[in-house]
Amino acid sequence: MAVLTRPRLRPRVTRPAGGVRTHDGWWAVFFLTPQLAALAVFLIIPLGFAVVLAFMRWDGLGAKEWAGLDNFAAQLSDPDFGQAVWNTVKLALLTVPFGLALALLVAIALNSVRGSGFYRVLYFMPVVTSSVAVALMWQVILAGDEYGVLNTSLERWFGLTAPDWLGDPGWVIVAIAVVTIWSSLGLNVVIFLAGLQTIPPQIVEAARVDGASGLRIFRSVTLPMLSPTIFFSTVVAVISSFQAFDQIYVLVNPEHNEGARTIVYQVYELGFRDFQFGMSSAAALILLVLTLLVTLVQFAAQKRLVHYDS
Amino acid sequence: MKRVLAILGVLAVATTACSGGGGGNVPGTSGGQVTVRWSTWGSAEDLKLYEKFTEDFHKRHPGIRLKLESVAKYEEYHPKLLTQLTSKTAPDVFFVGDDNIGKFVSAGVLTPLDDKLAGPDSKSRPEDFFDGVYGGAKRDGRIYGVPNDTNPEVLWFDKKALKDAGITEDPAALHEAEQWTMAKYLDMNAKLKAAGKAGSIFWNWYGSTYSMINGFGGKVWDGGKFVATTDPKALEALRTLAKGYQDKTFLSADILPDSNGPSTQFLKHKAGFYAGGRWMIDSLRKGGELDDYDIVPFPSPTGEPMPGAVAASYLAINKETKLPKEAFTFLTEFVGKDGQLLRLKGGGAVPSVKGAEQVVLEDGYPAHAQTFLDVRDTGFANYPEEVAVPGLTAAINEHLMTVWTGKVDFDQGMTELARLVESKMG
Repeated sequence: MAVLTRPRLRPRVTRPAGGVRTHDGWWAVFFLTPQLAALAVFLIIPLGFAVVLAFMRWDGLGAKEWAGLDNFAAQLSDPDFGQAVWNTVKLALLTVPFGLALALLVAIALNSVRGSGFYRVLYFMPVVTSSVAVALMWQVILAGDEYGVLNTSLERWFGLTAPDWLGDPGWVIVAIAVVTIWSSLGLNVVIFLAGLQTIPPQIVEAARVDGASGLRIFRSVTLPMLSPTIFFSTVVAVISSFQAFDQIYVLVNPEHNEGARTIVYQVYELGFRDFQFGMSSAAALILLVLTLLVTLVQFAAQKRLVHYDS
Repeated sequence: MKRVLAILGVLAVATTACSGGGGGNVPGTSGGQVTVRWSTWGSAEDLKLYEKFTEDFHKRHPGIRLKLESVAKYEEYHPKLLTQLTSKTAPDVFFVGDDNIGKFVSAGVLTPLDDKLAGPDSKSRPEDFFDGVYGGAKRDGRIYGVPNDTNPEVLWFDKKALKDAGITEDPAALHEAEQWTMAKYLDMNAKLKAAGKAGSIFWNWYGSTYSMINGFGGKVWDGGKFVATTDPKALEALRTLAKGYQDKTFLSADILPDSNGPSTQFLKHKAGFYAGGRWMIDSLRKGGELDDYDIVPFPSPTGEPMPGAVAASYLAINKETKLPKEAFTFLTEFVGKDGQLLRLKGGGAVPSVKGAEQVVLEDGYPAHAQTFLDVRDTGFANYPEEVAVPGLTAAINEHLMTVWTGKVDFDQGMTELARLVESKMG
């Protein structure tokens, strides 16, 4: 009976103690210091300050007063905040599934096309276009009168009377979702393309040899192997939709259309219109907790839904 | 560890060396000159109006350079200014809007100006300005900001649209005869509506809303209390506005699409009246038959002239300025008669100072341009009680918009509005 022995490992190369390794450490500190300093100044300190402010009353100029949980209580009982949360959730429910499904379809189509570089550039262009420019362009398309490109076209070609996409509180979130999906499509397509290209072709080939149809291959091979990428994109897309602000701010004025009021807009309005920085920080902290909760749920779900190929 | 500290020390020194000096304006002597930083909002076109004044100022004060720091959008100006004041990097002199001045006065970040304005170096004495226009810039008899120009809210009317609707009376002539009543005005609006036009276009702001309340003989604030939701006449005015917005007798300029905005509709003779200021002249020059349009004040219950709303902005001096003398030199010349004559020529505002009336009258347009001055002389800026609470005016307008658009029932809307004001007032 053969005795299984562990293969002999090559002796580890060790560096002289206190020599080059220590020296490398100093260089690492040297090169990382500017980034760490920037991170502290622009992220960690403001975040800490915002957390403290959430428990204060402060108008930005006068003295700060301790408010305890008053700011949170005021926000949680404010119908405007409730409306903002609901609008934000609606936006996420519209943009995440539809946006990712569309991106996946486009990625699969591009994956099977030779010389897809041109299309990749085309799809990616909105991602690198200024969100303000994107919003202004869509404002022209979605305008709800005879000057709106979409509504005029619908009326002229199909005789349809379309709603006032940006003016009607019931439709505005749909309009914002469309713009968001359009502008983030390219990024999701590129991520999915990268994911698709990591699927070993021999597995797909083996499934094909076994007689699996294209749909079956997609369901049993592509989707499971792409699930880590889908999970990553879902987490990022949900967080992005929870933080929606700039396009909404330019596209519609949520002050005149409560259907477009999102949590970040509420944070902005409380802080920079009403000068209630404590209240604004409390709203931002509630948003942070909501985002964390949703992300935790997603991470819990991944154990059953995401397939990691070892 | 010592090495890490040494590296961090070097980086700190390098960072400090590379960064610009924050904080206030330290009088630097660049060839014996000091730089006064000042800020305002406005488009590139608006800012052009200051160029002449700046050139002239530089000639007369070679020791002072003016550095303008502008923000394009009004909505974004005050947040930036607040941030600068908080971080002690605010300009030496700055514009403040009439809906924010009260807040800055309360916060104690503005220099009281009474003594300087009354002093020997002043070119703009306190009494040179109409008392009603000080609004929230005056508190307990002290002046913290000087109105640098104004825009009285009047009703522009389209003679052609009125004629098309079968209206034969001229609003301006009725006003001269002291017969320009709310009843007459509403009757004209009804006729315009019947002719398939909008009666009036309003921006959803205190200038229009409170002018309408005054026109019904109602009160908005009384004895420090918001009474617009309890005063019967004010309620009647608000109910009329709500009904008018919902049956399209009135249009809210705020929610008209950019592509077919209020100016476009007015120039196309689709509305009879458009409430606005002198800034309208520019829009009319660009696309209208100038002679089709004229102005009239908001109507009153009896036809007798009454105070109207005046939009104002104020020039104030940062309490932290390192250049108080130079800052005041700039301020007093900017708001003084000569400064306003130089700045407002060809512009869309009305001087806030006495003695500069020719700016408004010299073109002879509109035919009743004197109305701008009459409204300014007797008018009022937004109520001090309201402007003392940041965001209150905007919150009131925002809430009223839900009433105008019918999203909230009128009575419920008024109850909620009263509650909203109460909660904001603390």
